[in-house]
Amino acid sequence: MRYSVHLYVLFFSLSLFGCNNQNSSTPTAAPGTPGSSLERVTLALNWYPEAEHGGFYTAQLEGYFAEEGLKVEIIPGGPGAPVVPMVAGRTVDFAVGNADQVILGRAQQANVVALMTPLQKSPRCIMVHAESNITSFDQLENMTVAMNGGRSFAAYLQSQLPLTGVNIVPYNGNLIPFLEDKNFATQGYVFSEPFTAKEKGANPHTLMVYDMGFNPYTSLLMTSDSLKKENPVLVQKMTRACIKGWQKYLADPAATNTHLHKLNPELSDEMLEFGVEAIRPLCELPEAGELTFGQMTLKRWTTLIDQMIEAKVIEGDRVKAGECFLALPGE
Amino acid sequence: MKNEKLSLLSFVLPLVTLGVVIALWQITVTVGQFKIHLLPAPLDVANVLADTAMRENLWAATCRTGKAAMGGFTAAVIIGVLTSLLFSQAKWIRQSGYPYAIFFQTVPIVAIAPFVIRLFGFGLSSVMVVSAIISLFPIITNTTTGLISVDPKQLELFHLNRASRWQILWKLQFPSAIRFLMTGMKTSSGLAVVGAIVGEFFTGGSVDGYGLGYYIRLTSDLMKTPELFAYMICSTLLGVIAFLFISLVERFLLKRWIA
Repeated sequence: MRYSVHLYVLFFSLSLFGCNNQNSSTPTAAPGTPGSSLERVTLALNWYPEAEHGGFYTAQLEGYFAEEGLKVEIIPGGPGAPVVPMVAGRTVDFAVGNADQVILGRAQQANVVALMTPLQKSPRCIMVHAESNITSFDQLENMTVAMNGGRSFAAYLQSQLPLTGVNIVPYNGNLIPFLEDKNFATQGYVFSEPFTAKEKGANPHTLMVYDMGFNPYTSLLMTSDSLKKENPVLVQKMTRACIKGWQKYLADPAATNTHLHKLNPELSDEMLEFGVEAIRPLCELPEAGELTFGQMTLKRWTTLIDQMIEAKVIEGDRVKAGECFLALPGE
Repeated sequence: MKNEKLSLLSFVLPLVTLGVVIALWQITVTVGQFKIHLLPAPLDVANVLADTAMRENLWAATCRTGKAAMGGFTAAVIIGVLTSLLFSQAKWIRQSGYPYAIFFQTVPIVAIAPFVIRLFGFGLSSVMVVSAIISLFPIITNTTTGLISVDPKQLELFHLNRASRWQILWKLQFPSAIRFLMTGMKTSSGLAVVGAIVGEFFTGGSVDGYGLGYYIRLTSDLMKTPELFAYMICSTLLGVIAFLFISLVERFLLKRWIA
């Protein structure tokens, strides 16, 4: 099946190209050991390459990684890509994921830590048909809602909304049931599913999950506690290069999008363009804050942990907010 | 081939195996220093099972998945036997139909899920359909083999006595195919459970409650591996129960052949 095939390909490519330092045919250095001109590191994505990964590819294309002395291999993901266990188990050095995954991981002894985030606002939405006249979450009564029960946001929505008469069904990434039924709602990313739905002739309306207060940092860069401790310099270099890559991507995405289209031919140029347009506002820094691009705050992490405890996704006291991310200097 | 007799050993030996497996499991965790999200220790899973609310949930989910598997399995047996009876009638029918029976064995459920959902809606009915699709092929292939591989001498006897096609089918072919059907059913019973879980992955719903497939996906995504193992153990038990049930049926049904 599709899922398992992708996993096999992923694991196969990891075993071939991953941080396999015993490979003696090419002179490579283990992450963090000086000696060769460029330090080799791996970065695993949580999905197929798309706009939400744009900045990481920009850093590669524009040579920002090389400027820091890094040679980064980006490993594409797919459905169910187990990025947190891979980072925690040091199969890869870095990965892209969401804030709630970092917390889930830490609650289960998979100690990963977030380094920078491109998106300050979560792109997660519930997509409905405009014809259903639904404009808020509490109007979702008696609908069929496709969402993956194993995602923190779904658990949070279920804990906060009455969802009377709602049939929650699996989300399979396939929009056919949505297109066929005006009383069908589906989870999505605001830069992805609505575009496809429009292309297929539907008139979608999105309810943003962050409007309910559930707003995990998204597409963030993470590494393991152990690598951060062993090689803080490497971690800083990687973080700097990714921040720079993302700033460049948001300002001038054309070259990266061409590259993304080559990597993932199913993504049309229009879709990538739409993607960047939709992501840009999500990356804006909170107004009154003193943050610079990529930074995260203790307050946001604390709120998210509390929400995940409330939604019974994790047990209380297991995760400390301060350990989840690379704090601002002085925080 | 005679069925082995049930004895004390047939209960003791599996328990010994269980003990050995649990010991090896614990040793693997201890020696390998695996974190709980990769491989929980037997005790971690036991702790999950000790929780009353969790046990109630496990039981309810197991019952739902069991119901779907039973429905799918029954449908597979009925459709499979009817198809085999048709196949047994002539070589040309078999040759026309057999290659397409393999479709059911290989079809990726994710590809046909939207169609199944369109016809049967999200929930129990669709899950049963997926379970039937996945468990159908062994019934067809085994029963057809049984129906067409009758003893030629017996067939000759029937012909000599001018038996009708109907009489040959019901008095000769079908009885000799029963043992083959049973073998097919044993293979299919496990597949029906797998089918129900896969069906729940893609076509389940919440109106008639969640089955094991939903919780397996949920706990896997939430990295709650001890809970995931508990649901996995329940799906295994479901497979074992299905297999034992078919074996018991076989014992009663085939009594006259065994004696």
